[in-house]
Amino acid sequence: MSLNSILNSTFQFIKERFPVEKLNYHSMVEKKEVPVHKMSWGYYTGGLTMFFFMIQVITGLFLLFYYQPTVSEANVSVEYINKYVAGGSLIRNMHAWSSSCMIFCAVVHLLTAFAMKSFVKPREITWIAGVLLLFITFTFGFTGYLLPWNQIAVNATKVGLQSIEYIGEYLPGQLADIPRIIRETFQGEASVGQSTLGRFYALHVVILPLALSSLLGLHLISVQIHGMSQGVDKPAKKSEKFMSIFIFKDLSLWAFIFLCLFTVSLCVPFDSFLPYPLLAPFNPLGSTPAGIKPEWYFFFVYYPLELLPFWVILLASMAVVGVLIFTPWIFKGTSRKTLGFITILASLYLVVMTVFGEQIYELFKH
Amino acid sequence: MQKYRLAKLCFALSTGVLFSICTAPEAKTYPEYQAFVEKNSKRSINCAMCHVNENGPVGNGPGQLGSLNEEEMKQLNKARAALEPGSDAESPILNDFGNKIINAIGKKKFLEYKSAPEKLAPALGNENDMDEDGISDAQEYLDGTDPLNKFHGDPQKLFWINLIRYKSHVILTVIAVISINFGLLNLVKGFSSTQKK
Repeated sequence: MSLNSILNSTFQFIKERFPVEKLNYHSMVEKKEVPVHKMSWGYYTGGLTMFFFMIQVITGLFLLFYYQPTVSEANVSVEYINKYVAGGSLIRNMHAWSSSCMIFCAVVHLLTAFAMKSFVKPREITWIAGVLLLFITFTFGFTGYLLPWNQIAVNATKVGLQSIEYIGEYLPGQLADIPRIIRETFQGEASVGQSTLGRFYALHVVILPLALSSLLGLHLISVQIHGMSQGVDKPAKKSEKFMSIFIFKDLSLWAFIFLCLFTVSLCVPFDSFLPYPLLAPFNPLGSTPAGIKPEWYFFFVYYPLELLPFWVILLASMAVVGVLIFTPWIFKGTSRKTLGFITILASLYLVVMTVFGEQIYELFKH
Repeated sequence: MQKYRLAKLCFALSTGVLFSICTAPEAKTYPEYQAFVEKNSKRSINCAMCHVNENGPVGNGPGQLGSLNEEEMKQLNKARAALEPGSDAESPILNDFGNKIINAIGKKKFLEYKSAPEKLAPALGNENDMDEDGISDAQEYLDGTDPLNKFHGDPQKLFWINLIRYKSHVILTVIAVISINFGLLNLVKGFSSTQKK
């Protein structure tokens, strides 16, 4: 294949995915129609994820006013926000609850988009951008977890960073050093300390939001250009206007979800689910308290890691990441029925591992 | 004669000091209570539920026996002698909840309940709620949550207590969100009809 033909193919590929003639208000908004069928509820999951991200940005900005990213002040500043800042505990709780909701919605959005076969031509770039957005969302959760600088935050982050280094044992030659270098880059020093907190803070507050915003822009433009995917095998007999009926419904859903989030944040402190010894300020000279584990959205990989050899989980994770990124080509010819079946299996695994992971671990260990 | 008296005095003093050191009450921890709470609540707890230091009273850290000054030792001895309720003792190795237990039931009852830790909660009663989160201290003891932190408690109980406590906030927010939503929808509708023209 000559360079010319490669360039032509690439240009053709991009032209089909971003048709310039459709980059106008009339095509992207006015003319846009949303199919109405049994899976139409899936069209709202992406917007909901974005809504929770907006909540995170707003509550995060408020928290920025008081949070101090130093090992001596981080925990104290979070306590100060909780106890003495007017509305501080509400804002902090909304941030914590909304982060979990955002990750939940992102996963549901991925599963529904997969089941509806929304990744086929010309939506491949939409899909890949979406997968990268999911990874960034999980990274948001990982970096944000450290910031309160309490026992569970620091110890869970130590375990997470150590897992990165273990990958090096399975890589050949000089490649084995790469995971250690990555870990040292994120950690910044010999053990999790001020450098780590500073880097995680920079990631959480600046780098990841910029990365997510850019990818989100690409993702949304792509969605608007190509419109909503068909979603089901037989083209829907009914459809509704994107502007303004779908937007009406979307805004109403956001309002309802906001009320639920507000009520839960007001009434249930997110920290109340954890044993209080894990919420104590991190003590580098003390022993590690029992019960250290990551946030719930990492349970689907955490408990299998506790039960199975590391290399098994590593291989499985690499396979899943590869399949996710190359889904538009791997499942190009797969029927929606099969995709739906795979989605149900994946959902079952995620639900069972997240909700019953600890019990499964106890069962196999004892 | 004077030398003999001096020697007698020194002997008496050193005997007295030795006696007080030998008979000074040892630091005791009561793991029976911790074991009961962890089994009952299925939550892990540590000494910080009742003690100043999360590692308990033994050691040289803040709130531990080895770090107490003379004044604090006096307070400690007074608290240790508080066998009956209502003594108003303030042990420097106990936090507010720990001191509340001793003042409410006395050291004697506290030691009796070692063999039946479940009896501590009814003995404390449901009137006290030091962190004012709506869950009594006795209930927080049974639930394994922090009785001195209003943001820590059984989530289900906290939800209902706070929903009633903040019902006016919730109602006002519902009204505000419905109004804003109504405004936004009409704005979108107006914008859409303008574009059609």
